[in-house]
Amino acid sequence: MKLKDSLFTRRKFLNTLIGGWLTALGATIIQPVIKFIFPPYREPEEVILPAADYELPGPNSFKTFPWGSKPGILKRNDDGSLTAFVAVCTHLDCNVTYLPEQRKFYCACHDGWYDENGINIAGPPPRPLRRLDVIVEGEKIIIRRKGESA
Amino acid sequence: MPKQSFREWLETRLGWGQIVNFLQKKEVPRHKHTLWYYTGSAILIFLVIQIITGFMLLLYYKPTLEKAYQSVTQIMTEVSYGWVIRSLHHWSATLMIAFVFIHLLSLWILKAYRPPRELTWMSGVILLFLTLAFGFTGYLLPWDELSLAATKVGTEIPSTIPLIGRWVTQLLRGGADVTGDTLTRFFGLHVSILPLSLILVLGFHLYLIQKHGMSVPLREEKQNRPLPSYPFWPNFILRESVFWLILLGSLITLSLFLPRGLGQPADLMAPAPVGVRPEWYFLFLFQTLKLFPATILGIPGDTIAILLVMVAVGLFFFLPLLDTDPAGRKGKVITWAAVAFIVYAVVMSLWSVL
Repeated sequence: MKLKDSLFTRRKFLNTLIGGWLTALGATIIQPVIKFIFPPYREPEEVILPAADYELPGPNSFKTFPWGSKPGILKRNDDGSLTAFVAVCTHLDCNVTYLPEQRKFYCACHDGWYDENGINIAGPPPRPLRRLDVIVEGEKIIIRRKGESA
Repeated sequence: MPKQSFREWLETRLGWGQIVNFLQKKEVPRHKHTLWYYTGSAILIFLVIQIITGFMLLLYYKPTLEKAYQSVTQIMTEVSYGWVIRSLHHWSATLMIAFVFIHLLSLWILKAYRPPRELTWMSGVILLFLTLAFGFTGYLLPWDELSLAATKVGTEIPSTIPLIGRWVTQLLRGGADVTGDTLTRFFGLHVSILPLSLILVLGFHLYLIQKHGMSVPLREEKQNRPLPSYPFWPNFILRESVFWLILLGSLITLSLFLPRGLGQPADLMAPAPVGVRPEWYFLFLFQTLKLFPATILGIPGDTIAILLVMVAVGLFFFLPLLDTDPAGRKGKVITWAAVAFIVYAVVMSLWSVL
């Protein structure tokens, strides 16, 4: 039925109403399902390493540590300070290694190179390696996400 | 090439028009017991929810001795909406089992198993036991204190069957005791063997229902007049969808306001926790077993109890063949047996709780 001057038939109006309501109901069901199937983000807030295990005597020495499920590299700089990197290539997520004699980070997957400060210098990597903050507190070395040091 | 619409193109290849035709012509008889026809589709709705939420839980659950409890904790505390999904899986299972009981008992009383629907009933009884097996195997998976204790008791019960008992218990447990091997075994049953069996038997069950149409109660049938009816599509579906929405609303409300918890982690060496009790649908059997004395005339009470239960299950399965005279005296006795069973189950369940 369609009233004079009306834009819709009654059927069309009701179908839109029911259809819209069913769509809204479906959306409220789908939303939690989609949220559920994506696992929670699990990067650590911070990692605490015992200083005794990470003495790193000379400049340019390094040691790996677990940063959540990724490797991290802790490196002694020439001035004696410590720098930490997430040791994962910014190209396609391969783990990188540090080559002390060349003072470069190297990714074997696609021949990517970074200098000793983690700056991408050759090959496909689009960005420098991710740096992490390092805080030495007595017997502990605390490694935090960049810019989140309290 | 003649122009044809996409719909025609598909129809030539699939031939689904027959199914649509069938559904449009299918009539649902209308009488004062029509309401009971809805119970079957309620079970299907909860089954679909079980399958979807089950798939979701599978993404995070780890079926090993070391990881099971931890992974359920992770689902409950870390995964987005994890506690809701697990709670929905629990409550949907509960409601599904409740509707399986309602469905079977209502069909028993209405005598819907009369010829030619005997096999529909028998496949339904198999579906009941598959559903209970789902409940029993799923209960262990969170691997908390109560689930371990309940599974120990539940898998010990068959050992009292003469001759084959010990063997059945070992088969269920995957060894002499409930261990991590039992967990792996129950997981395999719960997510693979039981679902496949259920789909097969359910397909058979639904095929028979479509083949024979809805059963009409005896009293209506006797009146010898054509019954009023309405089309399956859209009239019956519309009424059913109202019912489904009520069920869905109840399910979500229960899941949110009475969420399923998680007990202490299971410890194989710890004594059984106080107040260990099976899920509500096993309570009447649990109480029955408790009431039997240790020995009757020199035979262990447990053995007699379990043999009686097996006889009852056999009678239940073959009910359509036993009820040869539905309209007569024997038929009435069988109807009253259903009522007696309901009273017995309710009283026993309440007794075990109070």
